[in-house]
Amino acid sequence: MNAALELQGVHKSFDGNPALVDAFFSAAWGEVHALLGENGAGKSSLMNMVCGLYAPDTGSIKIDGRAVTVDGPLAARGLGVGMVHQHFKLVATMSVAENILLGHGKGGWRRSLRSVRGEIAGIGARIGFTIDPDARIDTLSVSEQQRVEIIKAMIGGAKILILDEPTAVLTDDESAGLLTQLRLFAQSGACIVLITHKLREVFSHADRVTVMRGGQTVDAGRKPSDFTPEKLSALMVGEARVYQIGEHLPPGQVRLELKQLSARRDNGAVALDRLNLQLRGGQVYGLAGVGGNGQAELAEVLMGIRAPKSGVLELEGGPVPPASSGRLRRHGVAHVPAERYLYGLAGDLTVMENFVITHLKDGRFGAWGWTDRRAFERETDAAIAAHNIQGARAATRARLLSGGNAQKLVLARELSGEPGVLVAHSPTRGLDVRACAAVHRALREASRAGTAVLLISEDLDEVLSVADRIGVINRGRIVREYDAPADRQEIGRFMVGHA
Amino acid sequence: MTRRSWLRSTRLALEVRQRIPPLHRAAFILGALIVGLAICVAILVGRGVGLASIYEEFIAFTFFKASGVSTVIVQSTPLVLAGLSASLAFRVNYWNIGIEGQLFMGVIGATLVAIFDVGPESIRLVLMLVAAIVLGAAWALPPALLKVRLNVSEVISTLLFSYIAFYFVLNQVYGPWQDPKDKFPHSEQYDAIERLPPIGWEQVHYGIVVALAAVAVVWWLVERSRFGIQSRFVGTSPRMALAIGLPVGAIVASSAVLSGGMAGAAGFVIATATEFRLTPAMAAGYGFSGIVIAFLAGNRPFATLIVACLMGGLYVAGESMKVFYSLPDALVGLIQAIVVLSVTASEFFVRYRLRLAHYRGA
Repeated sequence: MNAALELQGVHKSFDGNPALVDAFFSAAWGEVHALLGENGAGKSSLMNMVCGLYAPDTGSIKIDGRAVTVDGPLAARGLGVGMVHQHFKLVATMSVAENILLGHGKGGWRRSLRSVRGEIAGIGARIGFTIDPDARIDTLSVSEQQRVEIIKAMIGGAKILILDEPTAVLTDDESAGLLTQLRLFAQSGACIVLITHKLREVFSHADRVTVMRGGQTVDAGRKPSDFTPEKLSALMVGEARVYQIGEHLPPGQVRLELKQLSARRDNGAVALDRLNLQLRGGQVYGLAGVGGNGQAELAEVLMGIRAPKSGVLELEGGPVPPASSGRLRRHGVAHVPAERYLYGLAGDLTVMENFVITHLKDGRFGAWGWTDRRAFERETDAAIAAHNIQGARAATRARLLSGGNAQKLVLARELSGEPGVLVAHSPTRGLDVRACAAVHRALREASRAGTAVLLISEDLDEVLSVADRIGVINRGRIVREYDAPADRQEIGRFMVGHA
Repeated sequence: MTRRSWLRSTRLALEVRQRIPPLHRAAFILGALIVGLAICVAILVGRGVGLASIYEEFIAFTFFKASGVSTVIVQSTPLVLAGLSASLAFRVNYWNIGIEGQLFMGVIGATLVAIFDVGPESIRLVLMLVAAIVLGAAWALPPALLKVRLNVSEVISTLLFSYIAFYFVLNQVYGPWQDPKDKFPHSEQYDAIERLPPIGWEQVHYGIVVALAAVAVVWWLVERSRFGIQSRFVGTSPRMALAIGLPVGAIVASSAVLSGGMAGAAGFVIATATEFRLTPAMAAGYGFSGIVIAFLAGNRPFATLIVACLMGGLYVAGESMKVFYSLPDALVGLIQAIVVLSVTASEFFVRYRLRLAHYRGA
């Protein structure tokens, strides 16, 4: 019998940065095949080739033994490949049936809504989903929206269904239900590729597993029962290569403390679960964890734009009322947010405006009624020089800066007031090596100057090389804390929740 | 791989321009203006108007003769204020559709002071201006609070507040404030002391001082005060403004209130320089004109001044068209709309570059 899906010798680079190096993969009909790896290991990139979003630089794709060219999502559908992405592709204001009709492209207009309703019911009955075809998408929960995506792929004729981290947004019960249903679908002869970083799911629901790391396939097609959890997580995170920069100072006083802090996601699911955290002056606290375990919500609580459900946020020993971004900032909490152009910079405004906006009241920039434009320019030019922000002048629009230089601008602004606390969330995501080093150096220097730095990162190497103290976040709780240097393998096991 | 035909492999592509030099922008706007005017000329010629008389009677009369220019200035003065009013709200993304209502409330304030002869005569006009600004601002406050506190759409609430103001005006002019002399539905005429005096050149009155002062104040507010730079962040990146701790609600609400106050000042100028009383028709059109002016001027105060004068010129030219050629109102409106639309459309070419793209298969 032919393999359902087979990829060989796949190379792909973006802007000269290799994302996939000689990657390979093979999954059979009738199985749930787990594709395991850290964030950025290349799992999604590899599967995006199969569903026609990327074209491989070199390498071959075979479906049911036949070599194919997938030059777009329509072609992928024609080949019987469906993918459920992490971010659903649904129109929020339209009904389930309308979305499915819309997703059918060629010839889709011929089907009446009624026949689509019938198909939804039929597929629902087959694999145990129930979904109201006339419900509007924005009235559905996240798990229901995911079902719509799965049904959409199946009505499109998918025999190979790829799911990218499908359980990241689900509760435990919902996850178990989904995985059981996928299993049923596989047993009916389909092929399910489950992209995941959760060992638990691999052991409980996958027939076979392929592990990727750093764009390469490191282990392919063995049964989960051939591994111990330790072995599998070691394969996933790789061998230790810790390069610590600088030395550790004795920690200073506690500047910011979270006590029993709980918060929910927008959809009501628990994001932070009675989390305790202490940030001390002169220390970089690295919070390691796989994305989606509450890091974004933690950063939002610390920015003052998400109200915690319960618990206390204390700053310099005194409690701060919830969701008060102005007060947090006045008390010296600075931020390098993950979404740079959403929370960090106003892309349509100038470098100068973006630099001065948080410092208008600190005396350097004139009075309320007459701001000092010369001081604006002088200080901005000084910051551009000091932080080596290339391609920037005071009057340049911030959106024109490259990723690394935009991040340097954010850092220049946030560090300029000598903050008591600096929260940096994935500060090097998408940056090149030199920009990464500059960001790491800036974080270290800030902490040596007495700032309490919280580095939230999904990149374990980054945490290990920059942090003085390391916490591991998993499902909204800090499950382990270490003083650096810490054991990479052990952290990896706690990150994936299997220790 | 299948070969694509040339037709299928070539298409028009839109590219966002990374940098937009000011000269470039000006050239496109000028070009669009010329295209729009050319269309208008073609329409007029089609109606039997000679080319030479188009130049003489519209352009020369409106923009080069003293009486024409002064008419344009008088016409433009309240437009400047209405444009500033709209721009103050729009720059924080607050869609104040209720400028006409706030303008009416401004007139109510001025008329209140005039009817009850509040304060000494020497400062009566100043009191009328203050009353107009305060009432206009007060009328803008409830929708602003609804927006900030309860996230009620200001598009709906300001519009409905306009209707309330309009019917309140009708109530006054058919009721307590009806002119006892002629029993028409308007208020008594203001006394001489309650009218804006002429500055001594043609028909131009001191409203021009009010308008120029307003431009200067708004320039200071948006370009020099701390509030100006903060509100720019609220307008362009509201989520960032919130995250860095700016008082977003207070900035939006105060911008809306300032917008209302400016509309009130526009009402004051119309009432004290043109109508000399409260009438139910005096606000008509100023709200939407203000919106168009603010949009074309990109919410910049000096540009607002210039655009408002051009709009005033269009009105005056339109009026003389009606007089000289007895062209129907609809045609005059059509010509004004064509000019405004073509300038508005030029923004598209300022922002994007149109290019033939060749599609290369994977």
